[in-house]
Amino acid sequence: MTTAVPPRLTGSPVRRQDGDVFVTGRAVYTADVRADGAAHVALVRSPHAHARIVAIDAAAARALPGVLAVVTGDEAAEHCEEIPHGLDAGHLGGHHAVVRPLAVGTALYAGEPVAAVVATNAADAALAAAAVEVTWERLPVVLDAEQALLPGAPLLYPDWGDNLIIERDVGPDDFTAAAADAAHVLEGELRTHRGTAAPMETRSYLADWDPAAGKMTVHATTQNPHVLRTVLAATLRLDEEAVHVIAPALGGSFGLKMYGNREDFIVPLLARMLGRPVRWVEERSATLLAGTREQVLRYRVAAAADGRLLALDVHAIADHGAAAPTHGWGMAHVGALATGLGYALPSCHVRYQVVATNKAPWVGTKPFGKDGATLLLERVVDRVAQVVGVHPAEVRRRNFVPPDSFPWLHTSGLELDSGDYATALDLTLKRLDHPAVLAEQRTARAAGRLLGIGLAFELMPESADIPGALVSAFDTSTVRMSPTGRVTVLTGVTSPGTGNETAIAQLVADELGVPMSSVQVVQGDTERCPYGFGNISSRSIITGGNAAVLAARDVAATLRATARAMLQVEPTEEVVLAGNAAALAADPSRVLPLAVVAGAVHTLSYRLALDVEPRLESTRTYRPGNVRQVPDALGRMQTYTTYPYAVHASVLEVDPETGSVTLLRHVVTHDCGTVVNPMFVDGQVTGGVAMGIGAALGEELVFDPDGVPLTTGFKTYLLPRAIDLPTVELEHLCTPAPGTPLGAKGVGESGFSGALAAVVNAVNDALAPHGAALESTPVSPPRILAALQAVGR
Amino acid sequence: MTGEEGRVELRLTVDGAERTASIDPRSLLLDALRDELGAIAPKAGCRTGDCGACTVRVDGAIAKSCLRLAVADDGCEVRTTASMAVGGELTPLQQAFWDTNAFQCGFCLSGMLFAAEDLLERTPSPSETEVREAISGNLCRCTGYDAIVAAVLSCAAPPVRSSRGA
Amino acid sequence: MIPARFRHVAPADLGGCVAALAEGGRVLAGGTWVLPEMSRGESAPAQLVDLRRAGLAELTATADGLQMGAMCTYADLLGSGPVAEHAPLLRTMAGGITGGWALRNQATVGGAAMAARPQSDVPAALVACAAVARVAGPRGARDIPAAELFAGAMRPSLAPDEVLAGFRVPSAAGAGSGYVKLKRGGSSWPIATAAAVVRLDAVGLCTEATLVLGGVAAVPVRIDVSALLGRVVVDDDVRAVTAAVADALPEPWGDVLAPASYRAAVAAPVARRALSAAVADAEEERA
Ligand SMILES: Cc1cc2nc3c(=O)[nH]c(=O)nc-3n(C[C@H](O)[C@H](O)[C@H](O)COP(=O)(O)OP(=O)(O)OC[C@H]3O[C@@H](n4cnc5c(N)ncnc54)[C@H](O)[C@@H]3O)c2cc1C
Ligand code: FES
Ligand code: FES
Repeated sequence: MTTAVPPRLTGSPVRRQDGDVFVTGRAVYTADVRADGAAHVALVRSPHAHARIVAIDAAAARALPGVLAVVTGDEAAEHCEEIPHGLDAGHLGGHHAVVRPLAVGTALYAGEPVAAVVATNAADAALAAAAVEVTWERLPVVLDAEQALLPGAPLLYPDWGDNLIIERDVGPDDFTAAAADAAHVLEGELRTHRGTAAPMETRSYLADWDPAAGKMTVHATTQNPHVLRTVLAATLRLDEEAVHVIAPALGGSFGLKMYGNREDFIVPLLARMLGRPVRWVEERSATLLAGTREQVLRYRVAAAADGRLLALDVHAIADHGAAAPTHGWGMAHVGALATGLGYALPSCHVRYQVVATNKAPWVGTKPFGKDGATLLLERVVDRVAQVVGVHPAEVRRRNFVPPDSFPWLHTSGLELDSGDYATALDLTLKRLDHPAVLAEQRTARAAGRLLGIGLAFELMPESADIPGALVSAFDTSTVRMSPTGRVTVLTGVTSPGTGNETAIAQLVADELGVPMSSVQVVQGDTERCPYGFGNISSRSIITGGNAAVLAARDVAATLRATARAMLQVEPTEEVVLAGNAAALAADPSRVLPLAVVAGAVHTLSYRLALDVEPRLESTRTYRPGNVRQVPDALGRMQTYTTYPYAVHASVLEVDPETGSVTLLRHVVTHDCGTVVNPMFVDGQVTGGVAMGIGAALGEELVFDPDGVPLTTGFKTYLLPRAIDLPTVELEHLCTPAPGTPLGAKGVGESGFSGALAAVVNAVNDALAPHGAALESTPVSPPRILAALQAVGR
Repeated sequence: MTGEEGRVELRLTVDGAERTASIDPRSLLLDALRDELGAIAPKAGCRTGDCGACTVRVDGAIAKSCLRLAVADDGCEVRTTASMAVGGELTPLQQAFWDTNAFQCGFCLSGMLFAAEDLLERTPSPSETEVREAISGNLCRCTGYDAIVAAVLSCAAPPVRSSRGA
Repeated sequence: MIPARFRHVAPADLGGCVAALAEGGRVLAGGTWVLPEMSRGESAPAQLVDLRRAGLAELTATADGLQMGAMCTYADLLGSGPVAEHAPLLRTMAGGITGGWALRNQATVGGAAMAARPQSDVPAALVACAAVARVAGPRGARDIPAAELFAGAMRPSLAPDEVLAGFRVPSAAGAGSGYVKLKRGGSSWPIATAAAVVRLDAVGLCTEATLVLGGVAAVPVRIDVSALLGRVVVDDDVRAVTAAVADALPEPWGDVLAPASYRAAVAAPVARRALSAAVADAEEERA
């Protein structure tokens, strides 16, 4: 008898494990969790971007039907500590801001929660929230980061003396020396606009306080249940084990649902104050408050006559909005670290300033600041190409870190592990049929049509470990096999809906030789899963996956040893686990069903292998080896573990009379090392491209002159729809991450940055024959038309 | 005025079962389904008609349940994606969505599945553009739509050939 | 849920609706505009008078055109033979409505007209079709030509206690029509629209020409294209009559998606494209 070895699951397009649950509408998200008798919360939000709370009169609201409580910021503050910071600027040379669940004293942005109403149903809560009378004393607002830095600007935090959350330098500041022999020095300014994550599911919480047991149970839309438990316990003055956080299915996140948002704390706090279950579902307009990406990037770049970049000096001014306890401001830091990455740039210096303004704060959003870095470099490269008269593709090729120079230490301290950027560029141009597209462009231009081709290279440092942040680059998984051979994986990483549980199951199934149907992955429950950091920085497969592989290998070793004992062969004999069986490699006819072996571990331990600990369970942590947090002589650290990249090409046409953009093609070659599930990787990249295109063309948070948001729904914050997008044409390349068990690189943030930059470059290429340019985003029709009008078109 | 006061009786057939519920007359159809009748397949993504996550069928026609007053639909027949699969057997469309990874977080699925089903009923062999148009009343933030388009196209009937003699 | 409490009535006929509305409140048609407003707490009428059971959804050919009830949905327009024949412009317009079939199945032409939003497809299209509104109220019924139906942004010229019953649309059979809409992608409401109707006689001379712009001002703007009458219309004529349409805008509309300056700038090309399409369509009709 021989056992057919089924194809390895790792690397194949296995479909979602629980897909049937989703397509039949049975998946349970936080807002679907039933809670009989739950009261509902509505938040009273500031209508002003900056105003002192003189008084709050809740008498009328309290008298309304169904109202159980009205809690003001002052009252809430008595019952909790300030929210711990995920990445405290105050510890890194900047300012610490005290942030509480509800505003105390002053509202710093329109939409800031200042009081909460609890009522028996959502409608009555909303009605009562509108009836809470707040007496405001309006204060002058500052809505622009550069103005906020000027002396005399209105101050958000008067005791700081300025509006600077933090400012830092990344990379040696040696532009002048490095540029000494440059053939060209260009200066420029790029402005990126405020966007937001906008997952389809808004935030939601259901908190239940059991006073007798002193126990808080919270169902939350969160990417990081364990970390949320830690900070929630600290804020509510509870022991950690008194808090149980459960993260049901998540309806998308993209960073928005990282722990530490003030809403994380409001609902549990109210549940404890009222002693009954309390639920809140965020309104869409509030989800659209969270900001990201708005920056002014001033730069100087020095280039040799052949287009090689010699030095880059950047001054980034980030319009953060009010300070927040989340990691949001870290996007400016990561953007600085990633600036120039992947190009063999001898000198690169970024000075960034994170500025407080009267807008809702930045919230960490995919791709976490690397988007600005990509856009900047890709505009710079295109501009250099224009000046030196060499095709932009060739200028990129001349500047890429060559494939034989890894590990490559970038000026920011990040150390690239692997890659083949030029090949990715070649593949993209080939798929595009670049010569044909160029010919088409010439014909179109001759006919007065504005056809543009844009290239962009994106390189995404992933799996971060920023010292001091409450999340790290490692994670933990437990693999457990039952006596009947069923496998449970408990992991500290979570899924925002990407399918990483299925990918982890694939990995474990392969290690243990069991079918997918035998493996169940459990995530998102602080009382079942090992402590972990959840979903962040595209690291679920790298950390949770690798940890699960290590743990599965432990379990496999026990199974193999037991099988050897059962088959009475020497310990040196190789045993293959495959096809739900354990077989001798040398003689596959000697085979045992895996369930029999697993059963034997549990039942025949004394008879079989006394030297084997009879335990089919292992918990392992995978901590990537290439992080280095001891600063070098220049104070630099290597804080990222993998470096996936992509090369994009966008082809589009601009209507010269209206500025409308029609996307014709979008080609991407992507490399995320070893692919565990190509279907999931394609899905991540395609989704990222769509989001990047949306950011380039239309999605923009807009405010009125007083700082009141005007983009409060999907009729004004314009997400791309299926008709707006061309089919994304994908090519793949694989350079495995060296020195890792799997060779996989992160993929969760891929696609966005390159798409954004390629579209902006393509629009500029389209406008070039008229001498028009657009060095700010979004490249929306009104702005494109204005750019054309500015050159007299 | 709290509790049951002011409630009204709503009769609906939901996923094949006749149901009655005492509801708050301020409920949208979406709220009545989710909060009172335990039908959680439709989701609230925007409550302004823009995302389509709340899509159901009302008396056969696809509808965004956040744009309907529950009391106005008294007596109607409502279907959610939970009753698409008959006898536990997934429809070809559901199967295709699963097989081609046409969803990630799945929040948009009610809208995508119903818009696609509705299209295929009207236009059994749609073009890619027709598919893109048909699902453009719905938003998906995760997939970039390509996998959804592929799933729908994979369920298209083969193009009708001219019959003999025609 | 809608925060504020309200009464919901659904009278069985138009008279009942008028009687109910006399007690105040707001009309509910498809609800696609009014219900989100109420959900957000921006509108809190004490009563909703639901037209759904009042039988206002007829869509029939008459001796000289169409009879179209206020409760006709976009889907009704798209599925109607008489509309295809007598008001192809409305059909094209309905085909470009966003929101998918779920929305088209429910949103009504009457609702769009009465919402009277500048950034809407319907008002300018109705004006271009020379539709006449039939309005019922406590002081009796009256007719209002579409061109007089829009008093300002979000302000129909009906009294608060009047109900729009429907429209008479004169037949455009044999005429050519063109409808062009500019927007910022699939999620966007209209930024600028142009609706054009052109009729040519047997020898190709223009006997009738209409051009109405939407989205670019608070209310639909009719452009004087009488210069085309009696001529064989060529591209240059179209260009000439549309070149300065921006000057006809009393005060260009601006909003969060596009400032007034942009709308003024795109009005001419959008107008020209719609008129060209109408001329081409009319030539086809004649052939
Ligand atoms: C997702 C989405 C997409 C949309 N896309 C478009 C688009 O592409 N183009 C566009 O132009 N619009 C669009 N709209 C806007 C608008 O909702 C529709 O155009 C729709 O036709 C409004 O009709 P309704 O029947 O739903 O109106 P309702 O919401 O029921 O009513 C609208 C207003 O008119 C009043 N009213 C309704 N009927 C009458 C009547 N017979 N007599 C007196 N008053 C009346 C109501 O009191 C209310 O004030 C869209 C809306 C949504 C939600
Ligand atoms: S919730 Fe109904 S369309 Fe978004
Ligand atoms: S799968 Fe997440 S919104 Fe579509």
